[in-house]
Amino acid sequence: MAKRKKSDKKKSPIAITVIAWAIVVLFLIRLVQVFEPLIRNQFFMKGITGPLFASWRLTSLGSVFLSSATYMVLSLAGIVALVGFLRLHRWSWVLLMAWTGGSLIISLVEYFYSRPNYAVMASNVIIAFALNNTEVQRIFGIRRDDGLSL
Amino acid sequence: MASVSDRPTAPVTASDLDLLRKFEPVVSYTKGEQFFPTHVEHYISECSLWEHHPDGRDELLIRQGELTMEKLIESRPAAFGSVRYLRFIEPLSLAESAQVLGDQLLLRRKLGGYFHAGIGRLARGGILPRLLDGLFSLSFVMRGKVSAATAAAAELDYSEMFSEDPRYTYYGRVTRQNGWTILQYWFFFCFNSWRSGFHGVNDHESDWEMVSIYLYEAGGELIPEWAAYASHDFKGDDLRRRWDDTQELKIAELSHPVIFAGAGSHASYFRRGEYQAEVNLPLPGWFSGLIHTWNKMWTETLGQPAINSFHIPFVDFARGDGLTIGPGQLQTWSPVLMDESTPWASQYRGLWGLFARDPISGENAPAGPMYNRDGSSRNSWYDPLGFAGLDKVPPPPQMLQMLAENCRKISQRQEELEYLIPKKAVELQAKGARLEGMEGNPHLAKQYGALEKEINMLSSEVRNLRREVWENIALFQGLTRRQEQMKAGGQDDLRAHIHHLADPDDSTQVLRFDRAAETWAAISLSLLMFAIAAIIYFAPGFIWAGLAIILILFVVAESFLRGAFVQTVGRITLILAMISALILFFHFWKWIIVGALVTMGISLMVQRLRELTG
Repeated sequence: MAKRKKSDKKKSPIAITVIAWAIVVLFLIRLVQVFEPLIRNQFFMKGITGPLFASWRLTSLGSVFLSSATYMVLSLAGIVALVGFLRLHRWSWVLLMAWTGGSLIISLVEYFYSRPNYAVMASNVIIAFALNNTEVQRIFGIRRDDGLSL
Repeated sequence: MASVSDRPTAPVTASDLDLLRKFEPVVSYTKGEQFFPTHVEHYISECSLWEHHPDGRDELLIRQGELTMEKLIESRPAAFGSVRYLRFIEPLSLAESAQVLGDQLLLRRKLGGYFHAGIGRLARGGILPRLLDGLFSLSFVMRGKVSAATAAAAELDYSEMFSEDPRYTYYGRVTRQNGWTILQYWFFFCFNSWRSGFHGVNDHESDWEMVSIYLYEAGGELIPEWAAYASHDFKGDDLRRRWDDTQELKIAELSHPVIFAGAGSHASYFRRGEYQAEVNLPLPGWFSGLIHTWNKMWTETLGQPAINSFHIPFVDFARGDGLTIGPGQLQTWSPVLMDESTPWASQYRGLWGLFARDPISGENAPAGPMYNRDGSSRNSWYDPLGFAGLDKVPPPPQMLQMLAENCRKISQRQEELEYLIPKKAVELQAKGARLEGMEGNPHLAKQYGALEKEINMLSSEVRNLRREVWENIALFQGLTRRQEQMKAGGQDDLRAHIHHLADPDDSTQVLRFDRAAETWAAISLSLLMFAIAAIIYFAPGFIWAGLAIILILFVVAESFLRGAFVQTVGRITLILAMISALILFFHFWKWIIVGALVTMGISLMVQRLRELTG
């Protein structure tokens, strides 16, 4: 009897590897974005040194904390999405697409109103296009074999 | 499928009126319908006659109460560009308008049978179509429009007319063309209240609707084969259904096709239901081109389903839960014969109601059964076969003869070809031999060139003749198969001729949370306006970003209610990614081009080296 081949598993499309790596890169960049302003404001040395709100408006320190918190949420969501993504769960595709969309909105707002992080923008663009790949959508059950979107 | 022998028949010798009565339709209206088919004489007596001159002036020709059928058709010369029209409702003062609107409410309370839209049309489209709908509503400020008071007054007047003479009338016409006997049923309504009564596209004074039944002769009897109903958005082949298509065409009392009439619009449908009619916006050419290019990239490059947001959804409610008129019903028809010699039909080319000066004509009244609004002849009148795409279809008994005749012609041509091809082939070979004999003789170069040209032409001719033989064989087989099928009594696909089938909405499938989605559809546009106003007031520095984010949030909320969250999130992210990609290219084009060239170079080098090392 002929021996069975070692691996009958279908090969995942390259887009999945690209997405996974892009998420890792983004996670690292986002981590820098979380900690860099906190370090700059000596949060780890001195703690919170001033008020976060002044007459219902955010102070500059408040803005730093808000943006760090936002990036932290984005980083954590990215990790959750990555875990689900590597396990090929449908929800992770949706979460990742929504996460990428949110991240792209932030990048575009930054582009038009301050200084954008082009590496983040580029990573998000790659992830968005890779997630739109027909093969990837089929694997995650977003698109049926007849091309119909579910 | 019912066989031909089950169909109702009428003797060929039957009078036109008997024929019309034998196959007259049953029309089922929607609850809340305010206008029903009526007779034109009474309507005319309630109208005034006007002339709209090219200089914009409107001239009263005959006062209300003085107009008769004879006066209507009197010859009156008019300048090019003028429009003659009837006016059912005279201009109303503010007090009169308030009075008729109040009386309309009382009348509706008295008659009962209220109309409820259910899942409204706005909940059936996305937020962009809703935004465009808002603009469409605003466009009435610029365009001519029939006022709500006019609609109310028309409803009151019709109610009064009906109480004086309670008849439901159709105008029947029998005509014969190319072996078909065509029965046309024309219905006249005093008013089209689609917009004011049923959230539709337009209102206009007077309305003409028509359905046709096509009969063929066999054994001295006339047998119905097709029924065609005039409807929005459809034309030609799509308008007709075969008599034995029981899924599409309902037949009452053995010989009476059933029509489900659109509420207010009176358009005719084969099946009861709610039909989504779409009004496409008249966009400038460059913008349409831009959308076309975008859609091409969106569907072909990015593999996304096509988006057509530049239309406004309107619903034509053909529920058939209201009054039903026709044989076997409580209310029956009063038929009137009509043909080219009917004076009011042939000699009055003007509009049958108010000329509202609407440039896109939606609110202008229609002309009569024989004419278009511009006075030209109406194709459903002069070409009733072409109107339903039947000009190319022979009646069934003639079909067999025509198939046999086609087969005979093909056989004859095949015989000709059998003789012709060998003759030409031998001629070609002879010329080929002569050409070979010329080779190596430079002094025959000129003759050689001419002969070569001749040979090429002959070769092409022989090739075409041989191809024709094979094409004829295939065609002959097809025709023979069809002949055999017809002789065996089998018929082809009932709906093979239909390109676009009118399908009613499955309203249960449209929305995820019916009530919430409807409420959202009703208030979302206003909420959007409030949010925009808030941004302008509180954060004017972030107006564009704010607008974009608000729009995205609204679209996502909408998609959640419509059960299209995943698809919408994907689309939005993709659009954002495309914008970001453009920005990245704008800033880093040099690096991107260098990177692409280096990658291509490496890839090519790897391929070539692999080839070399083999």
